[in-house]
Amino acid sequence: MFFVLNLTHSVTLHPSYFGRNMHELVTGKLLKDVEGTCTGRYFIITIMDTVNISEGRILPGSGLAEFTVSYRAVVWRPFKGETVDAIVTSVNQVGFFADAGPLPLFVSSHLIPPDIKFDPNATPPQFTNNEDSVIDVGTHVRVKLIGTRAEVGGMYAIASIREDYLGCLQGAP
Amino acid sequence: MSTSNLLNDHFGESEDEDDNFNPQPADLSDAENDDDDAGAQIQNEAAKQRNNASEDGARRRPSDEQNDDEDEGEGEDTAPVDEDDDEEEEEEEDDEEEITGHRRKRRRERHNQFIDVEAEVDEDEDENEDDEDENELKDNFIADTHPDDLADLPAGVETDDRRHRELDRRREMEASLDAEKQAEILRQRYANKNRSGRGLGDSAVVPKRLLLPSVDDPSIWAVRCKEGKEREAVFSIIKRIEERMGTKDELAITSAFERGGTHSTMKGFIYVEAQRQADILTALDGLMNVYPRTKMMLVEIKEMPDLLRVTKVPTLEHGAYVRLKRPPKYAGDLAQITDVTESGLELRVRFVPRLDYGLHDDANSLSGFGEKRKRAAAGPRPPQRLFSEVEAKKRHAKYLTGNPGSKIWSYLGDDYVNGYCEKDVKLQALQTTDVNPTLEEVSRFASNAEDGTENLDLNALAASLKASTANTSYLPGDIVEVYEGEQKGVVGKAVSVQADIVTLAVSEGDLRHHVKVIGGSRYRDEVGMVVKIADDRVTLLSDHGHTEITVFSKDLREASDSGGQGSLGNYELWDLVQLDPSTVACIVKVDRESMIVLDQNNQTRTVLPSQISNKLEKRRHAVATDRNGAEVRHDDTVKEFGGESRSGKIIHIHRAYLFLRSTSISENAGVFVARTNAVTSVTAKATASAAPDLTSMNPAMKRNPGAANGGDMPPPKSFTRDRSIGQTVTIRKGPYKGLLGIVKETTDTNARVELHTKNKTVNVPKDALAFRDRLTGAPIDPNSRGGGGGGRGGFTPRGRGGGFGGATPGGWEGGRTPAAGTVERTPAWGSSRTPAMANGGRTPAWKSSGDGAGGRTPGWADGSRTVNPYDGSRTSYGGGSRTPAWSSGAKTPAYGISDGFAAGSKTPGYGGGDTWGSKTPAYQHPTPSNDNWGSNQQPSNGWGSAPYDAPTPGAHISAPTPAAMNAPTPGAYSAPTPAPYNAPTPAAAPTPAPGWGGGWGAPTPQAMDAPTPGGQQGYYAAPTPGAYGMPETPAANWQDDGPRYVD
Repeated sequence: MFFVLNLTHSVTLHPSYFGRNMHELVTGKLLKDVEGTCTGRYFIITIMDTVNISEGRILPGSGLAEFTVSYRAVVWRPFKGETVDAIVTSVNQVGFFADAGPLPLFVSSHLIPPDIKFDPNATPPQFTNNEDSVIDVGTHVRVKLIGTRAEVGGMYAIASIREDYLGCLQGAP
Repeated sequence: MSTSNLLNDHFGESEDEDDNFNPQPADLSDAENDDDDAGAQIQNEAAKQRNNASEDGARRRPSDEQNDDEDEGEGEDTAPVDEDDDEEEEEEEDDEEEITGHRRKRRRERHNQFIDVEAEVDEDEDENEDDEDENELKDNFIADTHPDDLADLPAGVETDDRRHRELDRRREMEASLDAEKQAEILRQRYANKNRSGRGLGDSAVVPKRLLLPSVDDPSIWAVRCKEGKEREAVFSIIKRIEERMGTKDELAITSAFERGGTHSTMKGFIYVEAQRQADILTALDGLMNVYPRTKMMLVEIKEMPDLLRVTKVPTLEHGAYVRLKRPPKYAGDLAQITDVTESGLELRVRFVPRLDYGLHDDANSLSGFGEKRKRAAAGPRPPQRLFSEVEAKKRHAKYLTGNPGSKIWSYLGDDYVNGYCEKDVKLQALQTTDVNPTLEEVSRFASNAEDGTENLDLNALAASLKASTANTSYLPGDIVEVYEGEQKGVVGKAVSVQADIVTLAVSEGDLRHHVKVIGGSRYRDEVGMVVKIADDRVTLLSDHGHTEITVFSKDLREASDSGGQGSLGNYELWDLVQLDPSTVACIVKVDRESMIVLDQNNQTRTVLPSQISNKLEKRRHAVATDRNGAEVRHDDTVKEFGGESRSGKIIHIHRAYLFLRSTSISENAGVFVARTNAVTSVTAKATASAAPDLTSMNPAMKRNPGAANGGDMPPPKSFTRDRSIGQTVTIRKGPYKGLLGIVKETTDTNARVELHTKNKTVNVPKDALAFRDRLTGAPIDPNSRGGGGGGRGGFTPRGRGGGFGGATPGGWEGGRTPAAGTVERTPAWGSSRTPAMANGGRTPAWKSSGDGAGGRTPGWADGSRTVNPYDGSRTSYGGGSRTPAWSSGAKTPAYGISDGFAAGSKTPGYGGGDTWGSKTPAYQHPTPSNDNWGSNQQPSNGWGSAPYDAPTPGAHISAPTPAAMNAPTPGAYSAPTPAPYNAPTPAAAPTPAPGWGGGWGAPTPQAMDAPTPGGQQGYYAAPTPGAYGMPETPAANWQDDGPRYVD
């Protein structure tokens, strides 16, 4: 689910950058540091604006100045039970991997309807029920997250298509 | 029942449930209907009856079956003789009746095929005879089915509409009866049935405690039997019951059972239930393996239920692991079951023998085999090694029989197969629970296949490990699930854990989705996400390597850390390790005790940490070239050229091999190997990001990025003419040592000196120059040398530096005079101050003095020394508070001089010569101090360590800032007016640092004392040079200490 959050981030600046355009530098650094990252609970999709840039505090010892920037950002937090659309990235016999935006997820074969089976002989290998559902790399699927996990710098999810209205979003070609 | 209630409401005729029943087919599949659900009950019964009818000769009614099922389900009894046999028999008789009655009907009736054969409706067994007669009559009006047609029909097919009509009629009749009557009928019809037929199944209705045995029930006796034959005994009793059934000596016992077989604590007993003990005696008389004549034990009533409590017995299977308890030599050793006898009492196990092949045999002893055994057990046991016939042949050839071809040997009465000892062992000699084999132990049993690969029976291992629960540990707060026993399936949160009892607060809910495997399974420590839960088996997707593993839910614990496993000792997942000099490998999986690596030849192998020679640190800056010659580095994405065109991120570069990792590959944790010349770079890692790094120096600000020393500020350059040019110098070192000359030109380091001796100009390093007075030849400080006081004025700071510099290299200077900058200007300076500080002591000035030129001393004192010590203090003194202090003393003038060096400087007291004048205090100060130093310092302790340390030049110097000086000086000075004392006093005075002061304080007097008596003049006149001479020593010493000062 998407949220707009007020967040803060601290940016340090080398003394050699002190000057008139400090705030631009700080803002630029903020964008570079924060946008597109994952905190472990949510992804920061984009920064809308900076609300406030504190005055810089010199860090003892190094001479760097630290600015605390508060900003508003659009974040996406995947929830257990959330239904998302994803694009399949790889298929193997235990299931398939897909990306829902920044979130890689895995759909185990246990969580695929029993009629959709792995076909190792197809090229590329695919999950198919020999009718309208063909899941191979690049297929758009609608999945339901059944568990998420935080990793360093990212998240990871287990998803299911074993429910009504989930699965392949495209009909048979 | 909701259905019936609903229907009741619908009919709404009466409050009584029994009044109404629903004649419509209720849910037939619902086998567990309540008693009072009359409607459904009828249907059920009907269905059952029909079944019975159709199965000829079937003796058991479905309800009986149901009964049995329930019995088993409750785990009450596995013994073949049922407690409620009697009741059942009654039941069966009833059934017979009904069935036969029905058959009769069938025989009698023939039905017309033309009427409504499609639909079938349940029949009812309780029909009125009248109805039937009526039926018959009616039926006979219509022609019977033709026999040919009948033959066409499959067997058992109803061939008429009889049942429809019956049903209709019954409805009619029941509708006509009034409710109470109907209820009565129903009660009669079913009451008995319910009690007997479903009795035990209705535990919900009959409280369990009412089912417990009472005094009226038959008693149970425990009868001895042969151990291990319990079950056989019970079977033979059953057989006897069947044999004698219906004869006059029918057995009077109610039941017989045994408990738990071989694992029971009550081995050697069977239990027989009978009204009288005598019945048992007769019943068991003459049976094999049962000893009813021995003492029979009556089981107390309250203990009876316990007899039927079932403890689950782990089954030992081929391949499972156990531990040996006996013989002592093998106690605790792991053994693998190769065969299980039918009784389950004896197992054939194999284990790694501990043999010494007679190595420790006493040659004299003629002891038999048994004795040998004992002795072996007594000593240290031999290590576990596979049997070697070669070893055995050496000393014990006579005990060895066997066939080299089959690898089966018999040695000392034991069989050895493939090196393992195989033996039949009684179950009692084995430990079957909590075996917990370690991988190392188990690997000894890894059967070495023909191709040399080891294969472990991991399933057996897992089973052995699973059987042990000792090491499962629960923590309060864990979500736990009961997986066995009455409360199986209950999920709750552990509240407290004591020993192996977990108290839990029941809550509903799933195991969390991110779990860690604990306990015994071989997946221990894997962390993953649950993808499927079936019964107590949970399938999870491992975080590492994206493989699915299935474990028992009891082995799971909610994962608190996301990382989990991934390191073993020093080695972590993805590390590059060296296996042997020519092989490197990347760790692709880390297990509990071993790890799986992928070597450079793309082969995986399992290694133990001990097999790894070392870990190769990641070389961050390693660069390789791909097949197109483009650079590839760590974290670049490359794609295989040809082959499977896999693409991956470089995680290691080793020589010509790249270890790549791809997230889309599941095997080997996504790692694969490629040669550098077989890949093409896809995306190079974005080199320096567009935006500059704001936490480091702004590149735009770096003026001279090429500076060798990284932008340190270069020493300030002086743009004036080098003062040393034109100076008279002697050369102190090198081939021209000792020659006099004039400096003509200089560079930073070298000087060109025109020698006096020959008409030649030579290049000499500046630090090899000693400056001389042009006329006197006395060593001078070129910097102070501008000629007279004026010159000095300018240089004062430096002069001081120089003078003292001799004594305390740069330190003084640094501390005292910012003007230290002079540094490189003059050779002299250079030597004292520059990095070449070592020379410090030897500053030309000092040097000269050291050289002991008596005559020179004064001059030089002038130049360098006086200035120094005093300078710092003096300058400020001049105007400052010191003056007064000084003035009080005789010497003030002397001090006063300092700067000006005016004649005035030579206070009367100081009567000393000019030289003196200039030096006075300064001089004095150093002199005594020198003495002190000379004495104290030589050992380099007194001064060298503590006191000296304290006054580290910096400290010392900074200290004597005017203010500091002011305070102490007066006091010190005023008191010890005497000259000798004076001298040191100043020294003492200026020391702000107590340590220093003390240092001075103590030695000073003594040192001073000695020279003082000599009188100032004497002291100064004569000894001065000596005193001066001394400085060099200290200088030398200082030099030693120099580094410390410098620091």
